[in-house]
Amino acid sequence: MFYSDEKKQYSVLNRRTFLLYLLKVSFFSIVGWRLYNIQIKDSQKYKTLSKNNQIDVEIIYPLRGKIYDTNKIVLASNIKVFDVYIIPENTKNINKSLNELNQIIKIDFSDRLKIIELSKKVKKFEKIKVLENINWSQLEKIESNKLNIEGIFISQDYMRTYQFDNTVSHLIGYTNKPNQEEVELPFISNMPNLEIGKDGIEKSFNPYLIGKSGQREIEVNSFGRVIREISRKDSQKGDDIQVTIDLRIQQYALNLLKEHKAGSAVLMDIKSGNILCMASTPSYNPNKIIQKPNKKYWDSVLENELSPLTYRCIQGLYAPGSTFKMVVAIAGIVHGVIDTNTKHFCNGKISLGERLYHCWKSNGHGSMNVSNAIKESCDVFFYEISKKIGIDKIAKVAEDFGLGKIYDVPLPNQKKGIIPSRDWKKKKYNESWYPGETLISAIGQGFVLTNPLQLAVMTSIIASNGKNIQPNIIKQNKEIEFEKLEKYENAIKIIKNSMFKVVNESKGTAYNSRSELAPFAGKTGTSQVRRITVAERESDDFRKKEVEWKKRDHALFVGYMPVQKPRYAVSVVIEHGGSGASTAAPIAKEIFQFTKNLET
Amino acid sequence: MLNKIQNLNYLLIFLVILISFIGAAGLYSAAGGSYSPWASRHLIRLTFFIFLAVILALINIKFIYQFAYIFFILSLLLLLSVELIGVFGKGATRWINILGFSIQPSELIKITIILALARFYHDLKFDQIKRIKNLFFPILILFLPFILVVIQPDLGTALSIAMLGILILFASGIRIWKFVLGFFVLILSIPLSLNYLQPYQKDRIFSFLNPEADALGRGYQLIQSKIALGSGGLTGKGFLEGSQSYLQYLPEKQTDFIFTLIGEEFGFIGTMFIIILFLLLISVCFYISIKSNHIFGRILSIGVGSNLFIYVIMNISMVSGLMPVVGIPLPLVSYGGSAMLAIIISLGLVLNAELNGNLKKLHNA
Repeated sequence: MFYSDEKKQYSVLNRRTFLLYLLKVSFFSIVGWRLYNIQIKDSQKYKTLSKNNQIDVEIIYPLRGKIYDTNKIVLASNIKVFDVYIIPENTKNINKSLNELNQIIKIDFSDRLKIIELSKKVKKFEKIKVLENINWSQLEKIESNKLNIEGIFISQDYMRTYQFDNTVSHLIGYTNKPNQEEVELPFISNMPNLEIGKDGIEKSFNPYLIGKSGQREIEVNSFGRVIREISRKDSQKGDDIQVTIDLRIQQYALNLLKEHKAGSAVLMDIKSGNILCMASTPSYNPNKIIQKPNKKYWDSVLENELSPLTYRCIQGLYAPGSTFKMVVAIAGIVHGVIDTNTKHFCNGKISLGERLYHCWKSNGHGSMNVSNAIKESCDVFFYEISKKIGIDKIAKVAEDFGLGKIYDVPLPNQKKGIIPSRDWKKKKYNESWYPGETLISAIGQGFVLTNPLQLAVMTSIIASNGKNIQPNIIKQNKEIEFEKLEKYENAIKIIKNSMFKVVNESKGTAYNSRSELAPFAGKTGTSQVRRITVAERESDDFRKKEVEWKKRDHALFVGYMPVQKPRYAVSVVIEHGGSGASTAAPIAKEIFQFTKNLET
Repeated sequence: MLNKIQNLNYLLIFLVILISFIGAAGLYSAAGGSYSPWASRHLIRLTFFIFLAVILALINIKFIYQFAYIFFILSLLLLLSVELIGVFGKGATRWINILGFSIQPSELIKITIILALARFYHDLKFDQIKRIKNLFFPILILFLPFILVVIQPDLGTALSIAMLGILILFASGIRIWKFVLGFFVLILSIPLSLNYLQPYQKDRIFSFLNPEADALGRGYQLIQSKIALGSGGLTGKGFLEGSQSYLQYLPEKQTDFIFTLIGEEFGFIGTMFIIILFLLLISVCFYISIKSNHIFGRILSIGVGSNLFIYVIMNISMVSGLMPVVGIPLPLVSYGGSAMLAIIISLGLVLNAELNGNLKKLHNA
C-alpha cells in the first residue's frame, strides 16, 4: 500500500516534471522566436534607427565676404563678438554665478530669473545664453574673473559690421535673418539661421558673399551630448566684393548733402561708367539695424516722413526740369528743327490754344538762340522748338541718353521714371496727347520723371560726345569701351558749349558757382512740385517768398569736369532746395573741386 | 568528503562559470572596455559564491531539511525588517546590509520558499495532497512574502514569487482544476490590484502596450533596447563595438539590460548561445530532480530550476518587449550581488541534492 502509493506519487511527479520541462522549453522557444524577429527579420529597421540615434549633422556657417570701396577700404566686414553662456552642470549654484556676473555686467533681475527658470528645464550640460554681443572691455572684465565665476562659458561669433555707419548704407544695404520666403532661396536652403543681405549690394550679391556651408557629423548620446566629431568639412568664406565707390568722395558729398533735409549726389567716371559716389540723405545706420534689440531704431526709421530707407539716387523720381533741355535741344538739332542761328523771341510767355505757358523770367529773355537759351535757361525757346520737334522724337533722344530706363547694375529696386510719348500716354491713360503737354515736357516738367543716376548717365553721355555709357558699380579690371552714337556728336558739341557758358559766362544760371580750381560745365534745373497759380505769378515776388519747405521747388544740377576731355559727370538733386542755381550747383562745384584735389 | 567533491556535478558548475564569464565580458564592454567598475567585482563575487555553493553542497542534507522552515522564517523576518526600515526610515528600500553585503531579502526568500515547500511536500503523504486544507500552508508560505514584496513595491519580484509558487505547486502534484480555479481568481483580481499599483508601475504597464507613443518617456527604454538587439543582427557589431550602450542609449545597461548589450555586440548567435546555456543549466536541474530518490531533493531541484527559468524568461521577455519592464536581472550575467548570490547558493543546494539523492530518510528520528 505505502509502496504503491509512493510509486504512484513518483510517476505523478515524473509526469509533472516532464510537463514543466516542456513548458519551459516552449517558453524558451517563444523568446527565441522573438529574438529571431528582432535580430534577424527586422534587423535592418533597427540598424537604421541605431544610426539615426547617434549621428547628428551640424552645419558650419560660412563667413560672409567683405565689401571694399574702390581703394580697398573696408566698407562691410565681420567682427568677432562674444556671447556669454552659463552651463548649469558646471556650477554648484547658478544663482550665485549669475549674481557674480551681474556685478561685472548688469543683467536685469527678470532676465536672471528667466535664466534660472530655463536652467531647470533644459539638460544640465546645455548652455544657456546670458549675454549677447558683449564688447572687448566687458569681455576682459569677465575673462579676468572667469575663474571665480562657476559655469561661465564664452563663445565667439561673428557679426556683420559696417565701418562707416550711414555713409554708404543705401548702396551696401544690411543683413538680417531671412524671412519665410527668403528661406526658400537656393543659396541658403541648408542654412536657416544664416544672415542674408536685405538691401543694396548685400542683397544683389548674396550668392557671392555668402560662401559655402560646411558641415560636421557628430556622434551624440541619448542626452544629445556630443561624444566626438566623426567628419568635418569646413565652410568656405564668401567672395569679397569691391565696389567702384570712392569712400572719400562719398563721405564728402554726404556731408554737403546733410545741410539739406533730403537730396542726392551721383558722381560718375565717364571713361568707365564707374559710379564713384552715390550719396543719398537722409540715410540710416545699418549697424543699428543689425544690433539687437533694434525695434526702437527700426520704428524711428520707418516713422521718419523723409523715409531714410529710400535710396534717392535710384529710387527718387524727380521732374528733371531744365536739365532736360539738353535732350530737347539735341533732338531739335538732329532733326533739323534748329541750328545754331535759329532764334526765338522770349517775352516771358507764349500761348497755345487757350493756355499761357510762362518762362521762369516773367519779363522775358528777348531774342534767344539755342546757346543762350540753355545758358540762361529760357523756357520759351524750348516751348517753341518742341512744337516743331514733337514729343515722340524728344522721347527717342531722351532714351538714347539713358533716361527712362533701368540699368543693368546690381542695385535692387531702381525706379524707371517716365519719358512720355504718344504711345505711352495711350497705354497708360488711354488718352491722346495734347500739344500743350509737349511744351511742358520740353522743360522737363509734366509727365517727365527721372532719377538722379539717370541724370548722371545722361550727362556722361553728353560729356563723352555721345558714348553709350552704362553705369557700373562693381570694380572690374578690364577696360570698357562704350559704343559711340555718332549721329549726336555734332549736336552734342553745340550743347556742350552752351553748358560751358551756363557756369562760366556772366548771365549763365550757374555763373555764381564757377570754379577756377576745377572748371566745369553743366546745367541747372528747378522743378516745380506744384502748379503755380495765376495770382501767385502776378504777385511777382513769389519765388523770393519764404514758402513752406514741402512746397518749394526741387533744385537740380548736372555737370561735367574738366571742360576739355571731361572725366567726371555729376548730378545733384536737393529736394525742395529752391533753385538749382542757388542750392544744387554749389554742391556740384564742391564735389568737383574735391575730386580734382584727389587726383593730384 | 573527497568522494563527494569528486562526485559534484561539474557540468553545472562549468555552465555557471561560463554564463558568468559571458556576463563579465558584457560588463567589461558596458564600462567602455574596462574591468572596473563592474566586471572585476562580478568575477570576484563569482569566485566567492561558487566557493560558498560548494560548501553548501557538501554539508549534510538532513541539516538543510531540518532547518528549511527556520530558514524561511528568518528570511521572512529579514524581508519584514526591510519593510519596517522602509516605513520608519527614509522611504522605500529593498536592501539590507549584512556583514558589508548589500542584500535584497526578496531574492533570498525565493530560495527559502523553495526549501519550505520542498520540506512540506516531502513530509506530506501523497494521498493527503488532494485535500484542500493541505493547500493552506503552501499558499501561506507564498502569500506572506508576496504581500511584503508587493508593498515594497517590487512588482517584478512579486510576480516571480507568484510564478515560482505556481510552478512548484504544479510540480508537486496539485490537481489541475485547482490551477484553473486559481487562474480565474487571479483574472478577477486584476482590476482590484491595479488600484494598488504605484503610478510608475501603471506607466510601465501602459507604455508596454504602446511603447512608441511615448518614445522619450517610459517607452524609451524598451525602444532603445529593441534597437540595440535588432541592430546587432545575426553576428553582432563586435565586442566593444555596441554603440547603443556606449552612447548611453541603453538604460541600466549593466544590470537589467545587459542582455541587449550582448545582443548588440554578439548578435542573434550570442543571444541564442546564452539562451541555450540557460536551458542546459535548467535541464541539469531537472535531470537531478528526476534522479533524486526523495521528494525534498526533487522539489528543491525543480524549484531552483524554475526560479532560474523565471528570471531568465522574465528578463529576456522584458528587454525584447514581450512583457512590461518590471526590473528583473538576468541571473549570473547582470551586475548585482543579491541575485547572483541567490542563484549560485540555490544551485549549491541542487548540487547537494544530487550528492544525497540516494538517501531514503531525511528525518533523524
